[in-house]
This record gives sequence, structure tokens and C-alpha cells, in this order.
Amino acid sequence: MSRLEAKKPSLCKTEPLTSEKVRSTLSVLKGVIASCYGPSGRLKQLHNGLGGCVYTTSQSSALLRNLSVTHPVLKILTSSVQNHVSCFSDCGLFTAILCCNLIENIQRLDLTPATAIKLNKYLLSLCTSYLKSEACSCRIPVDFRSTHTFLSLVHSILTSKPACMLTRKETDHIGALILKAFLLTIPESTEERMVLGKSIIVPLKGQRVTDSTVLPGLLIEASEVQLRRLLPTQKASGLRVALFCTSLSGDFSNAGEGVVVAHYQVSLENAVLEQLLNLGRRLVTDHVDLVLCQKVIHPSLKQFFSERHVMAIDRVGVTLMESLSKVTGATPIGSLNPIVSTTYGSVKDVCSARFGSKHFFHLLPNEATVCTLLLCSRNDTAWEELKLTCQTAMHVLQLTIKEPWVLLGGGCTETHLAAYVRHKVHHEAEAIVRDDGCTQAKLHVAAEAFCSALESVAGSLEHDGGEILIDTKYGHLWSCQADSASVGNWSDTLSRCGCGLYNSQEELSWSVLRSTYHPFAPQTCLPQAALGSASNLTVDCFTAKLSGLQVAVETANLILDLSYVIEDKN
Amino acid sequence: MEMACRVINRRRHVGLQQLLSFAQTGRSFLGPVKATKFITDAECHESVLISSTVRLLEGLDLTCAVGHLLNEAVQAQNNTYKIGTSTLLFLVGAWSRAVEDCLHLGIPTTVIVSVMSEGLNSCIEAVVSLQVPIHNVFDHMDNTSTVYKLETVNATLCPFLQDPSGSGLLQEKRDFKDATSPLLSTYSLSGRHAESPKFFKPQNNLETEKNTLQVLKNNLYTDSFCKKSALAHSRHFNRTDNSHWISRHDGFLEQLESTPKVLRCNDFGELAVGLSHGDHSSMALAKAAVRLQWQSLCLQQANWMAPFMFDISRLLTCCIPGLPETFSRVGLGYVTFVTMSSITLIKELQDQPFRVILIEGDLTESYRHLGFNKSVNIKTKLDSGELSEDSAEELWTNHVLQVLIQFNVTLILVQGSVSEHLTEKCMHSKRLVIGAVNGSVLQAFAEATRAVPVAYVTQVNEDCVGSGVSVTFWMSPHDINRSNRIAILLTAEGINLITAVLTSPASAQMETKEDRFWSCVYRLYHALKEEKVFLGGGAVEFLCLSHLQILAEQSLNRGNHACLGWLPDSSSWMASSLSVYRPTVLKSLAGGWHEFLSAIMCNTATHPSAVEARTFIQQHVQNAIDSGSPSSYILSEYSKLSSGVFHSGISDNLELVPRVYDTVTPKIEAWRRALDVVLLVLQTDSEIITGLVHTEMNSQELDGVLFL
Repeated sequence: MSRLEAKKPSLCKTEPLTSEKVRSTLSVLKGVIASCYGPSGRLKQLHNGLGGCVYTTSQSSALLRNLSVTHPVLKILTSSVQNHVSCFSDCGLFTAILCCNLIENIQRLDLTPATAIKLNKYLLSLCTSYLKSEACSCRIPVDFRSTHTFLSLVHSILTSKPACMLTRKETDHIGALILKAFLLTIPESTEERMVLGKSIIVPLKGQRVTDSTVLPGLLIEASEVQLRRLLPTQKASGLRVALFCTSLSGDFSNAGEGVVVAHYQVSLENAVLEQLLNLGRRLVTDHVDLVLCQKVIHPSLKQFFSERHVMAIDRVGVTLMESLSKVTGATPIGSLNPIVSTTYGSVKDVCSARFGSKHFFHLLPNEATVCTLLLCSRNDTAWEELKLTCQTAMHVLQLTIKEPWVLLGGGCTETHLAAYVRHKVHHEAEAIVRDDGCTQAKLHVAAEAFCSALESVAGSLEHDGGEILIDTKYGHLWSCQADSASVGNWSDTLSRCGCGLYNSQEELSWSVLRSTYHPFAPQTCLPQAALGSASNLTVDCFTAKLSGLQVAVETANLILDLSYVIEDKN
Repeated sequence: MEMACRVINRRRHVGLQQLLSFAQTGRSFLGPVKATKFITDAECHESVLISSTVRLLEGLDLTCAVGHLLNEAVQAQNNTYKIGTSTLLFLVGAWSRAVEDCLHLGIPTTVIVSVMSEGLNSCIEAVVSLQVPIHNVFDHMDNTSTVYKLETVNATLCPFLQDPSGSGLLQEKRDFKDATSPLLSTYSLSGRHAESPKFFKPQNNLETEKNTLQVLKNNLYTDSFCKKSALAHSRHFNRTDNSHWISRHDGFLEQLESTPKVLRCNDFGELAVGLSHGDHSSMALAKAAVRLQWQSLCLQQANWMAPFMFDISRLLTCCIPGLPETFSRVGLGYVTFVTMSSITLIKELQDQPFRVILIEGDLTESYRHLGFNKSVNIKTKLDSGELSEDSAEELWTNHVLQVLIQFNVTLILVQGSVSEHLTEKCMHSKRLVIGAVNGSVLQAFAEATRAVPVAYVTQVNEDCVGSGVSVTFWMSPHDINRSNRIAILLTAEGINLITAVLTSPASAQMETKEDRFWSCVYRLYHALKEEKVFLGGGAVEFLCLSHLQILAEQSLNRGNHACLGWLPDSSSWMASSLSVYRPTVLKSLAGGWHEFLSAIMCNTATHPSAVEARTFIQQHVQNAIDSGSPSSYILSEYSKLSSGVFHSGISDNLELVPRVYDTVTPKIEAWRRALDVVLLVLQTDSEIITGLVHTEMNSQELDGVLFL
């Protein structure tokens, strides 16, 4: 008998952003995220309060994955940032902070959402077209003849994640390894379409970070006993490989529904084993030298193989299957039916390797773009963070190959963009208003909100009470001690700008970022020296930052546009 | 689902204080004199006696986030090195206090992190000068007396029985075959029978052994000359303000030869004493185990030229509570327990070598290998009046017995559990089944007997069966009648497996004794593996302390001193103000070492008051700094220092003070881990608790909590 229950009415709230609770939670979220930003960002301990796993992190991907926010406004924000991070890996915190800043700034203004959104869109297009233009002076083209730019990029990413607990030496070591691993994934012969390979991160916890290394080919973890049984290979021509994705354990998990009744004299297990042994005989007659199985191989079948000098490695795991297929060229076999010989692949050699307390089979490919980054760290917490960071760095390198530019980091791009937008709006307000049909006053107000949102992202890099300055020639960011901000002889106290491109010995004048400065035209050509020696600069991924900027503005627009929240209470 | 976010460094850093309070509990485990603790469960009134950091943390409630991090660090150190956890725990406490002091002085977090971590790096570079290379430590064992001594350790594995088969050499066993049976009855309770070496080795055997050792020795000699010591690379030898060291650098090898007392350790006994850290009885056993493995490898592979590597996986412990400590000993083979009902069987088996099979899984009817999923929807149809359901076990048992008979197998070593029914049946047919055997034991037997481990008995064929295993009682069957089990010794010719039998009259101390034994073994293991040790006894910490003091003073005087302290963001204002804060932060870091040394001195009761200890340390630090080169000061004043730290009265003859050694990498890693934990907690500003319901927190906890 079914019971019918009356449905609860849906709850409808108007103007969600005007509620005090939403504002305060938004500002708490912003506080959490902004305090993580940059190389001196603070870490967050994430746990469930019940003695579960504790994450210590300052990365947006780890942070947002574990945050459980309740309000729809916050959900929109976190999910769009997460979406950005899943596509571009980097600049997640930038996106989230900028979005929060924009919402906060615009709410203080006396603008209708429609106008604010329209003006935001315009200002965004101003930024993106500038960043993509040749005149842009916060963008550096990548020099493929040297590794300088790539190393700076990796270095900037590594140093902005303090929870990795890397010393300077370790940062250099890991940076070089990441670049090496990335280069190993680039195919040597370029065909019409270049397909990048894959680098797999293998954990080795408890060891020193400097013990990390990069190896071509694949590592499959194994027990010491398994390795002792590895027979030395003498074949010069490489080894023939059969790759199984089905279980060879001899069970009958695919019996389907219903009950199978067997006579007591019939042993189903023996029948399946006999089938497995038939398969083994077939592999032996096909001269297979190495059998790889994602799941388990029956001990009797393993014994059969080892008596016939066929190597068998089982429990490889699903994560390695794609790469194994790529490395060996074998097609994964999914059944015990007779095998087509084209499914076999080959490897150059298999040897045993030992790192720390772990033992591995090392598969050396004939030629393939798969490599293994053996990543060591002293403890689990730092390892998790380091792994995420390495993945981010490798992804960013891939993105940089597609769009070969990097943006100046250390907050300089943000302040420079803000200066550019201010100048543009100040001088071309009439022309802009003519096209858009709103008053100049509104444009100025909206532009101020937009620029200060950008600038306060740059300001979030400071966590220890320092002061942020902007120079009035290049529009770059400078950091100085709080009490020396009033002194005025800044050229002595300052050393270099945020990205490291300019030093304070030039004839520059500065202004405190929080105060309003007179709009100026930031210099729009890069010194040639900068193009050559990008080695000591702090740089950011162009693609990721551009996308972050767009996602932030569009998400802010979406949230500003919300007029009703309808909640289904059932 | 609600989520809360707690700001943890408002006025005082809560995380650092938590670390400090956890670390305080382990203070008494520092140094050679360890005070034991009782951990009592308030609910069920059970208590455990502990004397190590790892056991302590096992007993503490570490559910808070900071406790979790601390535990993670200690476990990681323990899993990787098995030693150094007490140092780690103590330094976590000392450095959290130091970091908190820095915070109170208003030093920015980023500066503390950077200067502390580079300061420790600098210390780690500095202490290289106190490394002592280990060369040819096994050289001094080629004289006859040592061999005899070794042999006594070797053969006395069975304290009550003088059965030469216990020595693990089957060749001798045959020589003495006739003598074996009368000897069996002549066990004595003293356990001190080993003074009669005549049983152990015919003279010709001894000669060959000597030759082997000579070969090995020569090999090691050439080895040592090829290898330059790590000391040659130390920057302390290249310092221009230190002529004493430079001269040594030039004539490095010669100098080493002429001053062996200072810089090298080439005697295994000396090394072991130095690494014993006050626990001589455990170290004697550990030392015997290493020697035994070395010796048995030498005998086995006379022309094997590879340098000796101590394989720690081939060492086991077997704990027998209730026996006096003097019965603890080390020997070749596998010591395990069998039930009293097997005594007759063992008695019958102990005369002849027999055949063995090795089973990797369980030995039960229902066992299937890992990854085999049993289907639930398969039913067996029975014809009426035929075999009943419960006879499956019987059928299987009979089948297993058939296989055992067919291949004439007497011993079955099983990694997993064993069907009781089968064990009984085997006993009737004079076969011994032993379950729960360690994987490395199986591997050792596989190598020695050429058996191949299998998962199922059905897999057994002639190639899988090993031969030449023998069994004997470890203790007299008449002696132990309280517990229902008896220790036996299984061995095979040339087996590379050593069992250390640990005995203790008080069963509460058994765990502690085992832990201490393993600490000693691992100290030796790491020292031999790295081929170097630190000059211990506080010397390393003392050098760190002096080194940091000098650095702090230098940066005070010279102002901008760019080599120390590195900010990831070099353009930040903090990069230029580093020099202002550097001396203070370095001094705080040094304060950690100071606390460490005075804690050791207080624990060993050489200096009853902390004030006295501090004065002692301060005085010597000042001397070291004034001397211009702390490392040479420490080397020259070592006896005075170490006796000041460890021995109450400074003896008149300082040359007699034995040197103390420490392992290198485990120690340095413990420092790094300790600082990592502290800095990780320092940089954390909020704790985010997910999946929390509003009402679950009481009002006191809600203070300072923000909800999202």
C-alpha cells in the first residue's frame, strides 16, 4: 500500500544578495580563499572533525573540493571556479577572489544589475582584447630555444604552494624534474597533429624530496617476492606483450542472474582453470614473453607461465591500463576467447627497480611518450599537495605550448591591467558612452569598482601587514613595509617589482594602491632585456589567467543577476 | 550539512600550543636513560607499560587536526627509519615554543619559515664535519679468538641443547651425527654451556674460514681506498680561516691513518658500543645478529666479491616471556612455537633432514587466492544417498594428505592460517604443519631448500618441494609446562635467516625489550648502509647550537648577509627586512637545540637541575665560539663534552670515556620532519571542519567559529 504525502511548498526568496547572511558568508568565504593566495599564503586544515583524514592545503582545487557550502549563491561561485580549475588547473584562487571582490564592490554602488552587468562585460572585453593584442606589455612571448621561461613558470607555481614544504634546493630539483617529465611526453616525430603523451606520478612517501626522479616508461609496483621471480631476459628484439583487462583469477563473476545448479561431481573451478590454461598454452605458442593483467592471475596459471619462461605481472590496476596500452601498443584483451595476434604489443625490456622501500617492475618502451615521475615527500600531507602542484605545473606547460605567452606574475598583471582600464575609461569615456547609452558617471563608478577588484586581488598577496604600491610608469606592483609607506624615499626601501622585471633604481614614482591615483597610461612596450632573460621573473600561465578573468567576471554577473532563489523543500 | 571555519591564530597560535603539549609527554624518552610510562584506559582500567614515542602516540588521543599531523610525521619517520622518533617529538615541542616566541616578537610568519628552514639546512651542512666514516669494520674479526666467540654466539641458539645442528652447518652435523643422540639428553639449566668450543668446528674448517676472511678483507681494503670519504667534500675543510682542517684536507688519507682516533671507526665492536646508547644487552644481541649474517654469507660464498650488505628482512624476533634475560640469544634458523601435542613428533623428526613445501595462502578448504570472487548463485546438486555436504572438507583433507605422501613432504610452512582438522591428520601421519609464517621466512627457506612457494597444495610438483630441513627443540620439552606451547628451531643448510630469541622474566616488559632490540638493529643497519656515523653524545646538537649562534652574530654584525634565508617571493618587502629579523629567529632555532641538550642532561641525571645544565652548555658554547672553529673545538674537547652530558663524575682519564655514535640520515630526517610539522602548523591560520551539524558543537567550542 502506498502512502501519499502532501508536497511542501517551495520556498522563494527575493534579492538573495541583499540578505545580511549571504553577505557575511560570502565575506567569510572570501577571507578563507584570499588568505591562501600567493607564496606567503596561509594554509588551511581541512577535516571532518571526527578523526578522519586532515588535508593541509592552500590550493583552490583541494580547498573547494572539500568545502561543503549550503547557499545557492556560494554554490554558483564554487562550482564555476571548480569548473575553471578542472579545465586549466591554475589560477583558481585568482578567479574566486576576483569574483568575490566584484560582487562586493558592485553591491556598494547605486547601479541597477542590468547596467552593472553591461558595463562589466564591456570592461572585461577591454581587458581581454588588450591581453591578446600585440601592444600588451604584461605578456611575454615564450622563447622555445631555451628553458628559461618554462622553468620560471614551473618555479612560480611551486613557490606559490607553501604547503609543499620545499626548500630552495628542493624547489629547483622538482622544477627541473617537472620540465624533464614534460619534455619526455613530447613525441619526437611531428606528424600532422601532435599528441602529447602522459606522465604518471608514482608516490614514494617517507623519502626525501630530492630522491624524486623521472624515468622513461612505466613503473608497476610489485612485492619483493614477485621481483625475485623475474627472469632475466636475453631477447634482443624486444618482448612480446599480451595485455589483459579481464580478470584471470579463475572465478565466475560473470555468471549473470539466477542460480546455476551444478552436479557435485562437476567442478566449475577446475573447468574455468582448464580454460585459463588453454589460454596460457595459446599465449605460449604465440611466443608471448610478458603477460600483463589489470586484475588477478590464477596462481596455477602463473606457475604455468613461469615454468615456460613467460613473465606474468598481475594486479596492475585500472589507472595504468591506458598508459600500458600506449607504451606497448597492445590492445587490452577483455575475454578468455581465442586471441587475435594483432592485439599483442611489445616492449624493449622489463627490469626490476628499487626505490626506498618499494619495489617496481620497470617497463622500458621501444619508443613512446609515456614517462613516470617518482615523487617523494617526507609526509603524506606534503605529498598530496606536491602531487597536485606537479599536475598543475605539467598541465600549465601543455597550455603554454598551445598559446606561447606568459603573463607577468606577482600581482603586476593585475595592477597593470587596472591602470590600463582606468586610463582607457578616463580618456575615451565619451566614445564608450556613445555606443553603450549610459551616463559617463555610471561608467566611471563601474570602472572604479572593476579596477579596485583587480587591484585588491593583487593586494591579497600580502599577508603580513605590508603595504602595496603601484608605480606610475609601468603600473607594476611593489611591496614595502607598512611603517615605511609614509616615509617617501621609496626608491631606497623598494628593491624589485612583484614580477621582478623592474628595479627601483629607475626614475619612478609610486603611489599607495589603496589610495586613488591619477590615471596614467602605463608604458606599453616591454624592454628587450626582459624578453631575453625571463629566468628570474615570476610569471603566470597566460591561458589559465585569461580564462580565470573571464570566469570571474561572468560568474559575478550571473550572481548579480539573481533575483529569486526558489528552493524545493521536498 | 554545515561547515565551520575556525581561526586558529588569533592571539596565541592554538596549533603550536597543541603541538607543544603533545610533545611534552615524550620528554622522558630522550637520551640513554628512558623513564617508562603507564598509559591507563580510564574506562576499562587496562594499562600498558611504554617507553617509546611510537607506543606513546599509539596510546594518546590524537583526533584533533594538529595531533593527526604530528602522528603522521612520527609514523612516517618510524616507517622509514624505525629510529629517531623521540628526537622528532622533542624537537617539535622545542621548536613550537621557539616559533611562538618569534610570533610574540612580531616577526612575520613568512620570515620565520624561511629563516628557520634555511638555518636548519645550514646546520645540516655544518654537521658533516662530525661524520665518522666506517671502514672495514669486519676486519678485526679474522683472528681466531673472535671466530670462536662468534661461533659461540652462533651455536648457542638452543640454550639447553648442545645439538650442533643448531649451528646451521649440515656438514658438521654429519660429522657429529653419531654424537648427536647422547648429547640430546645433556642439557643444563645454566644456559652457559658454550664455553666448550670443541664441538663447533673441526680445525680444517676454521682454516678455510680464515682464508675466506682474508679474501674478504683484501677486498674491503681496496674498496676503502677507492672511496674518498664524504668528509673531503665538506665545506669546512675548504674554509680559509681554518688552517688546521685545510692541512688535513691536503693529506687526507695519510692524516686519517695517523689519527684514527679522531675521524674514523673501523672496529665493529667499537661501532656497536657507540651506537648502543646505553642499552648494552640489546646491542650485544643486535651485534651478534649482524656478525652472524656476515659470517654465514662469507662461508657460503667464498669468492663472492660484493661488499656485505646487512639484509634486515632476514632477521626475526621471537619473544618468550617468563625466562630469565640471560636466555636471550641469536642464531641461524627459524624459531617458532608449536603446541605441546607436537612434542613426540618433533622428537622423532629431529634426527634426519626432511622435505618441505611452502604455501603462500591459507591452508584451508575454503581458501581462494586474492581476487577470486566466490559466486553466490552456484549451487551444487547432490544425488540422493550420496556424499553429504560436510564431507567437502574431508575430501579436501584427504587430497592434501595424498599430495604430501606422494611427494614425501614432512614439513609444511604456511603463510596464512591452517585448517585444524588437517593439522591433526598430518600429525597422525608424522607431518608438521606450521601456520602464520612470515613471508621473508618462506623466502629464506625457498632459497636454502630450493622449494618454490605455491598458493594451493594442488600446484605442488617435484620442483616445488624443498629438501634438507631439520628441526630441534629450542628449549627442553620438560622445562616449560605452564604455557601450552614450546619453541622449536627449524633450519636448513646455508639458510640466510636469523632469529633473535628475546626472553624476559616480566611479560609486561617484553614489548619494550623487543622495541629496544629493533632500535639497536636499525641503528647498526643504517650505520653500515651509509658507511658513516655522527659523533654522538650531543656533539652534533652542540655543533648546531654553536653554529647557529655564530650565524646569528655574523648577521648582526655584517647586516645584510644574503646567503641565509630565502623567500619564495624575492620582491616582497620581507626579503629586504630579513636581515633585521634573522638573528632573533636563528637564536630561537638554536634555543631548540639548547633545550634538547639540557633535557638529555636532566634525564641522565648528570645535572640534576636545568639551570646547572644550561650553565654547562652555555659555557662550552661560548668556548666553542671563541675558539673560532666549533667543530674542531668539539673534536678536541669531545671527551669532556660527552662525559659532561652523559656521565656524572668526569673521570680523571678522559681517554677512557667511550665514544658515542649516532646514525646520520635518520637523525637529520628527524630534524627536518620536526621542523616541517612546526612550520606547517605555523602557516596554518584556520581549521575548516566539514560535514558538521550546528548543534554538534557545544557553546565553548563555538567561540571564534564562523559558519559558511
